[in-house]
Amino acid sequence: MHFVVCAKQIPDPETPPSAFRVNEQTNEVIPAQGIAPVLSQFDAIAAEAALRIKEAGSDVKITVVSMGKESAAAAIKQVLAMGADEGLLLDDDAFQGGDWNGTVKVLSAAIQKLGNVDAVFCGRQAADWDMGQTGVGIAETLGWQAAIIAKDVKVEGDKMVVQRVLPDGFQTVKLPLPSVVTVSNELGEPRYPKLAQIMQAAKKTVTKWSAADLGLDAGAVGASGAQLKLERLFIPQAGGNVIIIEGETPQEQAQNLVNALQADKVL
Amino acid sequence: MATAEVAFPEGKPARTRVLGAWWSTAVGLAGTGIVVAAEAERTSAGREVFWNEVPGWLAYTLMSALVGLLVYGLVRHASIWMLGKPTPGILADWPNRLRNATRFGLTQDKLRRDRYAGIMHWCILSSIVMLTFVTAQVAIDDDLQLHFLTGNYYLFYSFYGDLFGLIGLVGVGMALYRRYFDNYHRIRWDERVEDHLIIWGLGVVLLSGFFVETFRILATELEQHPDWATWSFVSAGMALFFSVFEMTEPQMLFAHYWSWITHIVIAFGWLGLIVFTKLDHLLFAPVNAFFLRTDAPGRLNAIPNIEEREVFGVGQIQDFTWKQLFELDACVRCGRCTNVCPANLAGQPLSPMHLIQDLKRHLADVGPELQRVGHAGGDVRAVSPVAMVGEVIQDETLWACRTCGACVQECPVLIEHVPTIVDMRRYLVLDEARIPATAQQALENMEMRGHPWRGTAFERTTWMEGLGDVPLFDGSQEYLYWVGCSGSLVERNLPITRSVFRLLREAGASFGVLGQEETCNGDPARRLGNEYLYQILAQQLIETFKSKGVQRVITNCPHCFNTFKNEYPQFGGHFEVLHHTEFLAQAVQQRTLIPKFPIATNTVTYHDSCYLGRLNGVYDAPREILAVLPGAQMREMQRSKSAGLCCGAGGGNMWQEELGERRVNHVRTEEATTTGATGLVSNCPFCIQMFEDGIPAIQPDEESRMRAFDVAELLEQAVLGPDAAKA
Repeated sequence: MHFVVCAKQIPDPETPPSAFRVNEQTNEVIPAQGIAPVLSQFDAIAAEAALRIKEAGSDVKITVVSMGKESAAAAIKQVLAMGADEGLLLDDDAFQGGDWNGTVKVLSAAIQKLGNVDAVFCGRQAADWDMGQTGVGIAETLGWQAAIIAKDVKVEGDKMVVQRVLPDGFQTVKLPLPSVVTVSNELGEPRYPKLAQIMQAAKKTVTKWSAADLGLDAGAVGASGAQLKLERLFIPQAGGNVIIIEGETPQEQAQNLVNALQADKVL
Repeated sequence: MATAEVAFPEGKPARTRVLGAWWSTAVGLAGTGIVVAAEAERTSAGREVFWNEVPGWLAYTLMSALVGLLVYGLVRHASIWMLGKPTPGILADWPNRLRNATRFGLTQDKLRRDRYAGIMHWCILSSIVMLTFVTAQVAIDDDLQLHFLTGNYYLFYSFYGDLFGLIGLVGVGMALYRRYFDNYHRIRWDERVEDHLIIWGLGVVLLSGFFVETFRILATELEQHPDWATWSFVSAGMALFFSVFEMTEPQMLFAHYWSWITHIVIAFGWLGLIVFTKLDHLLFAPVNAFFLRTDAPGRLNAIPNIEEREVFGVGQIQDFTWKQLFELDACVRCGRCTNVCPANLAGQPLSPMHLIQDLKRHLADVGPELQRVGHAGGDVRAVSPVAMVGEVIQDETLWACRTCGACVQECPVLIEHVPTIVDMRRYLVLDEARIPATAQQALENMEMRGHPWRGTAFERTTWMEGLGDVPLFDGSQEYLYWVGCSGSLVERNLPITRSVFRLLREAGASFGVLGQEETCNGDPARRLGNEYLYQILAQQLIETFKSKGVQRVITNCPHCFNTFKNEYPQFGGHFEVLHHTEFLAQAVQQRTLIPKFPIATNTVTYHDSCYLGRLNGVYDAPREILAVLPGAQMREMQRSKSAGLCCGAGGGNMWQEELGERRVNHVRTEEATTTGATGLVSNCPFCIQMFEDGIPAIQPDEESRMRAFDVAELLEQAVLGPDAAKA
């Protein structure tokens, strides 16, 4: 079997709030000084899900695919060190500045070009914009089925058995292969690579494909292919105002609190 | 200023210890005796060696058997030790090694740390050595026909023979008392039949020796030469006692004969225990002292050529060095290590003594098979049916270690537990990737973000806010002030960084900081077993230091201090490193900082962090500062200086969930509260965090609660006034 894990490199979500700045003119995040981008945590968990199936004894090849700049090779290497077999970087200036629509087109084209892919594993959402569209978008584009927000993924015969996290419980679904699954943090922590694997990963070369390699029209992807328009990017002003509710007795304090809440039309 | 000293620095030069050792008593006594005897007029005193036709051949037969047995035992042991990896260059520092063998083998420097046991052991050892000397003289006198056991020397010889026999019996008595009547805890943790055999056996040897002497004196001296007999003051007393029974001469001869046989047989039998029991420490302890590391005790070995290896840590017994295997055989199960282990004190799953004993048993189990397979050219990695790490030694045992070095400090036979534990951690992390989740997060954070503090809301420059001009290091200043990850990214440690900064500025020091360019120096990675990550971080930082022209560094944190000072030289980084307490103590001494304001905390107790204290010998500088704080009174904790107890955070345990009955920081905080001090002062950002957490648990009442401080915070109050920190 051949699995694809989609991996995105994102600005570090643990950037201290004081170091997080945006350019309100260009609607762009200003990269924080000295803080390197990281692999989106949900994508590491997606890789973990694919690796667990491989470890359970299935004959699986895992290709990790990332659309991004040269620096995204680090994210690919990280998944290779966890145990993935091959790395593929989709890097083209034409891919930059778009929305999920362009990303889906590029990733789907790559998956088609790879050929014979049995399943695609994505994180439930990228930890920067948190849209959660890429996985289902790929399924839609390729005409495959998708199961989202999985906490457990298994392969049984020619079916993929996915346990999904719902707001009020879990749901187990069976999908035909090929399919797309998006994986949630309920699956568990991604593994820590062994040093021997890190060394092996360091020696592997990451294949690079451009828009031309994928046969994509530069005008259909990236900023020019975007369907969403970002109106305004800003850091909200957080503030607080504390009112101490007075009262002689607890009953009186409670009554005063209710009065205040009613006056503010909260109740 | 403390300097790196051989073995554990204790703030006292080693020479005085050797000179002051108890051994000088024995040597001095014998030496003086020989001189006196040679000078003085000779008397006709003397005796017939092998009197009463005792079978001298029996002694020589038994001695030959003993020598054969010892050789057999040593060869068998050595062939097992040789399963371990070689240790190139271990003999290089031989003068220091000889000094260590003398200091720890002959003068037993470590044993004194338990006074009772120290006296007991000295009595026993000096008695064995001196009585072997006494016995050897008998053989020499007879075999070489020298007949020097005559005259004054004979009398003196009789005297010290009896004296050391008596000293030996006192030692045996003390041992018996501790084992059977004192109910002493640590010697019962792994008590075996051999423990009883050794001590009773020695008692019988010494007593039977006295009986031989007693009946000889009874028969030949008591009446004939009472002036000679009195020199054998113990035996003569015993003879006097036996004289009341009015024994006939044949009875005396009979008693002497059989005492002699008993003495000889049991004595050689007892020495034979060296091959089969912990009595082997008699040989192995001084040798292990010789092979003790002679570099800084706070340094861990580097894995050389890490990128070209297939195995990184120690997951199988043959991956240890031969020295580490040798150490296992030196262990006497005294329990001193476990007795001071912070994890053990808190009921957590680590006992250094049992760890060593478990490894020793595992070596005995698989060693012979490893040898056989190795000789046959088979796959030795496939030999062991059990996993050494995971089954023989549990993962949680390895993770519970604080790398505080208390066990190593106490071990009388110089076993180095910490490097052995870290070697196995390296196996867990690098070879197996088996790590507690929280520790893994800290390691990943170091990889991704260059610091171990996941989720911090601070930047490396946050502490500078409101301090005015904070100079960046550009090579023109004398010192780099190294703030460290904790000093800049952990809320409680920020005020300490500010205090140190203001004091450096007040003292007029020429210094700068790196600000955003600081990254983790790798210490937590190394302690957690990720040597690869450590080497990457260390090499990067050494490059940064060199490119900026850093030569002298002042650190906030004793862990950074130890890493820069003791570990960076392994990678070509040679810097002069001071902990802030060292620099500040110097400044106070030179009057560039003048403590004049009374501080609000009137009684303080001081906690020695392991990495500043025990592992680097800096005990005095922080205390010198506390001593000059106006209005502060010092109250030492019972465990302090080299006997100090870890706060619980060392060895990467800052980032681990603790398993066990209690938390180490609660144990240590409790010890601090018993001093009644209102301020618990330390020098380490980890210790401070541990105490901030521990104090509310031990003292729930917020009003009367003890407070945790860094030395610099109190000094700042005294130098710049109580409101300086608020400004």
